[in-house]
This record gives sequence, C-alpha cells and structure tokens, in this order.
Amino acid sequence: MVGGIALVVWSGVQNYRHRTSQPTQVTLIPDTSSPTGSSSDPTAASPLRGKPAPPFTLVDLDGKRVSLSDFKGHPLVVNFWGTYCAPCKIEMPWLEEFSKKYAPDGFQVVGVTYDSEVGKETIAKATQKLGVTYPILLSDPTVEEAYLKNTEYLPMSFYVDKTGKVIEVTAGASSKDELEAMVKETVAAGNP
Amino acid sequence: MTRALAPVAALALLVGLAPTKIVNAQIGAQIGDLSAPAKPKSFVLYAAEPQSVPAGKHATLELRFHTVQNYHVNSHTPKSQLLIPTTLTLQPANGVKTAAIEYPAGKPYSFSFDPKDILDVYAGDFTLKLPVVATPGDHTIEGTLKYQACDNASCYPPRTLPVKVVFTAK
Repeated sequence: MVGGIALVVWSGVQNYRHRTSQPTQVTLIPDTSSPTGSSSDPTAASPLRGKPAPPFTLVDLDGKRVSLSDFKGHPLVVNFWGTYCAPCKIEMPWLEEFSKKYAPDGFQVVGVTYDSEVGKETIAKATQKLGVTYPILLSDPTVEEAYLKNTEYLPMSFYVDKTGKVIEVTAGASSKDELEAMVKETVAAGNP
Repeated sequence: MTRALAPVAALALLVGLAPTKIVNAQIGAQIGDLSAPAKPKSFVLYAAEPQSVPAGKHATLELRFHTVQNYHVNSHTPKSQLLIPTTLTLQPANGVKTAAIEYPAGKPYSFSFDPKDILDVYAGDFTLKLPVVATPGDHTIEGTLKYQACDNASCYPPRTLPVKVVFTAK
C-alpha cells in the first residue's frame, strides 16, 4: 500500500515537473490583415459561425429591455462597437444605410456598446453624431462572453439569418462593399 | 497508515493536475481566438533608460516609448473628442519639480477602407519630454501612460502602462 501511494506521489511530482517545463506562453501572431482592412477570416472567425445566435436581453439607451428574440424572423447584424473605436465609427453609418436599404427584406441592425461605462449620454452623443438610428444596447459581461469570448476586439459583427443562425462573423472593420455583400448574404440566407 | 497518507497522495495528484487546468485554459483562450489575431498584452513598451541632468537647473528628461509593430495609439491630441488621447500621469517625487509634459505631434493615419478620415496617431517610436528641476541625487518618478491602441482594422480597450523615470541629478 505504502509503495502504491509512493508511486502515486512520485508520478504526481513527475507530472507536475513535466508540465511546468512546457512553455505556457503562446507566441503572439502579428496582425496580417487583408489589404481591405478586415483583419480576420470571417468564415472562421468564431465558434459561433453556423450555430444559433446566443440569446440576450440588454437595455437600450432609454432603459428599455431588448432581446434577441425581438428580432425573430429577421435577418440581423449584431454589431459590437465602442466609442473609442475609430473603425467602428466608420462602418456604423454604412450599417445605418444598409438597415434602411434592406429594410423591405426585413433586415435589421442592432449595436451593442462594449464600453458602456462611458455613460449613456456619451454613447447617445456618439450615435447621434454618426446618424445611427438603429437600436443601441449596453453590453454586459454575459453577452460579451457569449459572443466575443473575451477577445476585446472591436468592431465585431455577427450576421444572423432569419432562422436565428449565425452565418458570418467579422472581426475588424470591412470595406463598405464587403459589408454590403455580407448583408445581402444574410438577407438571402435562411429562406426555405 | 492509509488514512494518514491519503492527503499526501491527493496533494500529489493536485500538484500534478492543477497546472494542467491552467495551461489548458491559456491555450484554450488562444485556440478560441485563432481566427482573430492574438493580441499582445501591451501595445506600447517603455524604454527605461537611466538619465543624468544637472542638479538644481532646468533640464529635460526624455521618455522613449515604442508601439508594437502593426499597432498605433492615438496621439495626445486626437482629432475627435471621443478618441482617447495618450496621456502620461506622474506621481509627485521628492526633490523633483516637474513642468508640463511635452508630447510629440502625431502622424496622420487613415484606415484603408476610409482614407478620407484622417486620425492623429503615434506609431513606432515616440518620445515624451519632461522638464524637471531636481536636487542632487538619484530620483525616481513613477507614473502611468494611458493609451488606446488599434491595428489597421480594429481597436482594443484603453490600457495603462506603468512608467518609472529613473535619473540622477549631479
């Protein structure tokens, strides 16, 4: 028995030594974004791709609770952005434009503000300046974990078809043409 | 005997297994982010170089910073109120009087998908100048650089970098 326990102790110590000898730091990969600016492979950007969009209920700038289920049956872009994020503010007016252009197809956009701590007033001021009229929600840790997986990478957009499935994910801003192509794809997807 | 040794065996197993969880968590986070570029822990580095100044006289310390390749930070005077400026905040230090920090001018920068929107940024090396008058001896001024970094398509939350300005007045 003693020998057996000694063996367990020995193997535990060896196991520990082996693991602590392994490098625990991962080599950082510099951003090698595409020339168009989008710094990700949208087709593989998230484990959410191809899966149902995680449900959420957040509050908007008026304190009204808004849920993902409110957009049921609509092709949708869930766009995470921050007031400090210049590329976010470049693409948001484009999202606004497409939300109107493709409204007849049921297309909708919802913005989720990552840096909610700056306050509703600052966020409202920013969205007003950008001409954004689509719903702007305040993020919370639960939705960030569900969608962003703690990447802290903005902007991030999740393209959800009318069946509620995430069909595209982009990390980083896209060109206006790329953005519109993805909106069109989202509008067309999920048809019977 | 068995009961006496059981906690030891359990401890050994824990010693062996606990690091597994930690390592897996670290690698898992990276795997989850493989499609998004892995980001450095800090986007700005501080080159702490000991400096010498004449004691009791006006002198200028140079604080050299470097932004990590492929990233930029807003200058001290970004072109939008909503953008977060790079700002150094210093703690008072005994025997040292400081004047306003001099920030370098930024460089124009625009994203490829919107070349018309010109930002004002620091990229690569940038140097802040700190006017001081110090009593004779060794001094350390501690401070914090606040900055907000972006790459060529996306941005990261604001961060802070601890800074220690070490110099001798003689």
